[in-house]
Amino acid sequence: MITLKEALTLNKDELNKFKDELRNKIEANKDLNAYIDVNSVGEGVPIAIKDNIQVKDWSITSGSKILQGYIAPYNATVIKKLLDNGLSPFGRVNMDEFAMGSTTESSFYGKTQNPHASDRVPGGSSGGSAAAVGAGLAIAALGSDTGGSIRQPAAFCGIVGMKPTYGRVSRYGLGAYASSLDQIGPMTQNVEDAAILYDIISGSDEKDSTNAGRDDKVIPNLDATRKLTIAVLPKYVENASQDIKDAYAKAIEALKAAGHTIVEREMMDAKYDISAYYITATAEATTNLARYDGIRYGNRVEGKNLEETFYNTRSEGFGDEVKRRILLGNFVLSSGYYEAYYVKAQKTRHIIKDEYAKIFEDVDLILSPVAPTVAPRFGELANPMDMYLSDIYTISVNLAGLPALSLPITKNSEGMPVGLQLIAKAYDEQTLFDGALSLEREVAYKA
Amino acid sequence: MQVDDALLSRLEKLSFLKISEDKREEIIEQLSEIVGFVDNLSELDTEGVDATFAMSDAATPLREDTPDCNPEIHEEILKHAPKSADDFFIVPKIIE
Repeated sequence: MITLKEALTLNKDELNKFKDELRNKIEANKDLNAYIDVNSVGEGVPIAIKDNIQVKDWSITSGSKILQGYIAPYNATVIKKLLDNGLSPFGRVNMDEFAMGSTTESSFYGKTQNPHASDRVPGGSSGGSAAAVGAGLAIAALGSDTGGSIRQPAAFCGIVGMKPTYGRVSRYGLGAYASSLDQIGPMTQNVEDAAILYDIISGSDEKDSTNAGRDDKVIPNLDATRKLTIAVLPKYVENASQDIKDAYAKAIEALKAAGHTIVEREMMDAKYDISAYYITATAEATTNLARYDGIRYGNRVEGKNLEETFYNTRSEGFGDEVKRRILLGNFVLSSGYYEAYYVKAQKTRHIIKDEYAKIFEDVDLILSPVAPTVAPRFGELANPMDMYLSDIYTISVNLAGLPALSLPITKNSEGMPVGLQLIAKAYDEQTLFDGALSLEREVAYKA
Repeated sequence: MQVDDALLSRLEKLSFLKISEDKREEIIEQLSEIVGFVDNLSELDTEGVDATFAMSDAATPLREDTPDCNPEIHEEILKHAPKSADDFFIVPKIIE
């Protein structure tokens, strides 16, 4: 598959020919189920779009039954930015329902396969985005990351996935899951493409009051030769599988060979991250998903009065995992439990954010696993608690609002990709991409 | 902490959700396991830590108070709503 950088040099005729071929390839690989459907807007370079980002006149459903029939009435800010910069939304890709999942198994549209093994999950929630790029069925894609939903599927599918600093990319037009954690980001074949796409979608936007209003760009200064100080977390990695530990050791050697300084640091037990995350995310989700009542959007299941219509619409429209998280969110917010759970989780976020700030006092980047294993087989994470525990390495980044980038390092003995992530301080995407480009060149991963 | 049927019923009401009879036992078990896990936060000393958390310490930005409206968006939303007429969403009878 040609890279985004190369595709941006094609003329109109070449692009049209490429898109015709791409359509055929997508059609010939239906079993992967990465794409929900393939519509396109504009004449630019095709970019696959996660099913929770508004593209005007497209059916955009967050992978849910409850949004069947909904048509996006406007473009998300990131879509406008794509169109303004010679890119075209091209195809809607699969995801876990409302981005709540780590496997893409909870989608209304069925499971997506991992392009490296048809019996394994592509990760989630941006599993369609990752599978499409990993299978050579997309030049690049947009995903969203609330607790690892860009980085983890990227790692499972052998591609690059980047979560920007909270506030870097406008959330206007992103189907909300947890508003203090959600960020849209690029999913690409390589680090440079991720930087190109990140530069295009990031920037100030008056339509998102949580936008940081920053317009500095990465590509003009992208420099893989900078020598950085990079923290590694030996204790943190202990609970990961041998595949992950091997990749971690390989990445450390590569970083040393590239001239970076490696220092050892520790972080608190990540079990607290999981608790703070699932309390915060479900509390925000329960609020955000209150709007799906069958009155204004999508699918209504009429009852004999208004209240019964609410109950029927929501009970039939939401899947099991979404219901679980709504119930949990109402639990942690309800009278009698609010202090012990929701407030405690917010205090824990301060502790996590401060812990990162302390590490970043004298290091540029942190090297961390993305997931404790390679992509699991379908059904392996069927127990919700097991699935939540698999998010152990990604969620603290969202809780602290930091930028992070997952890139493929190696493959295990079964040919499954292993990705690791670099984490930077808030708004230091420049150092994140510089370090990632250096690591990518040194490990020379073969797709 | 153990979630029981009474608590589940309360959460269903708060959530406008009905959990079917055949799934209640399973979901009570799952919620109990998850709530039991997140109880680990009580091990953390958070004495004196700020009880609120915001992603940015900056105040919410203000813009000029100029009216701005794209009527096309309203029309599109009403057109695709489950039931609508004129400028209204239609809902089932509220008062019997």
